[in-house]
Amino acid sequence: MAITAGIDVGSGAVKVAVMNIDDCRETLSAHYLERIRRRDVMEVVEESLAAALRDAGLRRDQLDYIATTGDGDVIPWRTGHFYGMTTHSRGALYLVPESRAAVDIGALHTRAMRFDPSGRVLQYQMTSQCASGSGQFLENISRYLGISIDEIGPLSLSATDPEKCSSICAVLAETDVINMVSRGISTPNILRGIHNSMALRVAGLLRAIKVEGTILLTGGLARDTGLSAAIADKLKEGGGAGVSLATHELSVQAGAIGAAIWGAFRHGKLAKQQEATRGIT
Amino acid sequence: MSLATQEAPMAAGELADLVGSATRLYEDLELKAVRDWKANDPARRAIGFLPVYVPREVIHAAGALPVGIMGGGDQIEIVRGDSYFQSYICHLPRSVIELAVSGRLGALDGFVFPSICDVIRNLSGMFKVLMAEKWVHYLDLPQNFDRASGGKFYRHEMATIANGVSALTGIEVTNERLRDSIRLYNENRRALADLQALRVQSPWLVPATEYYLLLRASYLLPPEAHTQMVRDYMRLSRTSQRHAQDNIRVMVRGAFCEQPPLGLLRTLERAGCYLVDDDFVLGARFIPEPLPEDGDPWQALIDGFLYKSLPTASKYDVNATKEAEVVQRARDVRADGVLLIAPSFCDPALLDQPMLARALDKAGIPYTSFKYAEDTGQFQVIREQAGTFADAIKLWGTK
Repeated sequence: MAITAGIDVGSGAVKVAVMNIDDCRETLSAHYLERIRRRDVMEVVEESLAAALRDAGLRRDQLDYIATTGDGDVIPWRTGHFYGMTTHSRGALYLVPESRAAVDIGALHTRAMRFDPSGRVLQYQMTSQCASGSGQFLENISRYLGISIDEIGPLSLSATDPEKCSSICAVLAETDVINMVSRGISTPNILRGIHNSMALRVAGLLRAIKVEGTILLTGGLARDTGLSAAIADKLKEGGGAGVSLATHELSVQAGAIGAAIWGAFRHGKLAKQQEATRGIT
Repeated sequence: MSLATQEAPMAAGELADLVGSATRLYEDLELKAVRDWKANDPARRAIGFLPVYVPREVIHAAGALPVGIMGGGDQIEIVRGDSYFQSYICHLPRSVIELAVSGRLGALDGFVFPSICDVIRNLSGMFKVLMAEKWVHYLDLPQNFDRASGGKFYRHEMATIANGVSALTGIEVTNERLRDSIRLYNENRRALADLQALRVQSPWLVPATEYYLLLRASYLLPPEAHTQMVRDYMRLSRTSQRHAQDNIRVMVRGAFCEQPPLGLLRTLERAGCYLVDDDFVLGARFIPEPLPEDGDPWQALIDGFLYKSLPTASKYDVNATKEAEVVQRARDVRADGVLLIAPSFCDPALLDQPMLARALDKAGIPYTSFKYAEDTGQFQVIREQAGTFADAIKLWGTK
């Protein structure tokens, strides 16, 4: 049995998952999310881990492995680090066991990955460094429109005549939005237009990696109901037979959960190696 | 013992100071350290040399300080250097020209350009024109690895260097002086070998950036000062609070000439790779074993080059030892995988890569490859590649 923590340091938030894992069961003991909000990342990490451990009723020295992912490679006291594709795939598999692909839409990047039933990444694609189609971009837009982030999804779903928006460049898209506001386009129609343009890019990434079966949305924007609806529509438009889109209330924790699970795997493997070494000596 | 319960690694003040000194030397493109060394005695001379290998003992025995010229890295903007070269060659010669024409190499009294590739050969010609008042020598290293022909040729080449430097210092290279220099450089070889052994045994005690900074310092400091620095580092590092992380162990090949920026090394470590062997600053340990300290010192240097030097892309590999070496070395240092890296447009490194890859394939050793330049500033793609490579090895044992 292993008790592990997964820490996913994103551009906008730190996510922590504490897991209890034995041969036949993976149990999520606690999870915690804290937005960074221009604070020192290490302070947020310390605070988030402490909160998750408190919720799990554990002390830090009871952890067998602290696994980091995302930008968690800056944490010097980590046990090991795993790459985002690897952890989101494993986390997606934990949350939705039938999933065979995941789309991680975070504050700065969007990544699509296809994996096998063991969580091994088979193929992936990600957006370039452009911020278009990312959470940060959507957050900026919500600020221009004077609405909160939580309002984005429901408003987008109520759109009746979505406006077209640039799907290429965040700068152009922001200009588009300013023009739309001045032309009197309603907020729901603007938001759905943006969601549609983002969904177009996501659908492109998914097609590039030839997904089949269930796709889980992970990352911070997985909770955006308007975006998930737009992606589902775009997949249908692209003739996505045999493809279904899933979300999960813990989708945002997928990276942290995946890191914690892989941490437990490594803990077991290292223990076996140590035993073997002891046997030899 | 659980890895996760260990405390954050905190470098002791003394260790941080030492690494700080090495960092300042690395950043010293104005060669202030060399100017200071020369200021202590106006008769002192310093000779610059390019990668990969020059017999530093000969320059040292002639009373001069051998100083490695490793380019400007990511610290200078190339303004005039680009106009000297076509676009499809590596970055190093451009930044070396930039250093030269901006006066940063003014502390050096002469230059040795060892044979690496055509570009460096041409660079030596440019220096002869640009620095007409200084001594510039193109060192043709032997490509025949026997005493009778290659050895004889190399003895003549070393004598030319000895005479050239002696003319600047007024100090003749006697056998006694050369033996003394070999003795000092042997001490340095032993120190670097011990550092390498420590790194193989406990890579978390010797982060790649610090190891690299120590290597770079060897190209600016007198050998005895550098040996002391390496010994001090090992003592301090062993007593530091640094602890192991669950990283893979990798070996790096292909960075023997143009050097990777520090950011790239940090990126590789952050991506979960411990660098346990590499060919950075290769000239500093090109002949890893100590040379005989008695007998004919010229012969000791000749035999060292002909029979004990490491295989690398810029050296003619008459017995095809590179493939076997890369596999054996990976096994010796217990590398989980190999990073075959190469500076963009580096013909020697890129020509060797398929051969090394084939040998690694055959031996079942995972590898991945990517290119860099000394001034590469964006590491996201390399981070992804190294990260997925590390994950694949950690979780599935393959690439």
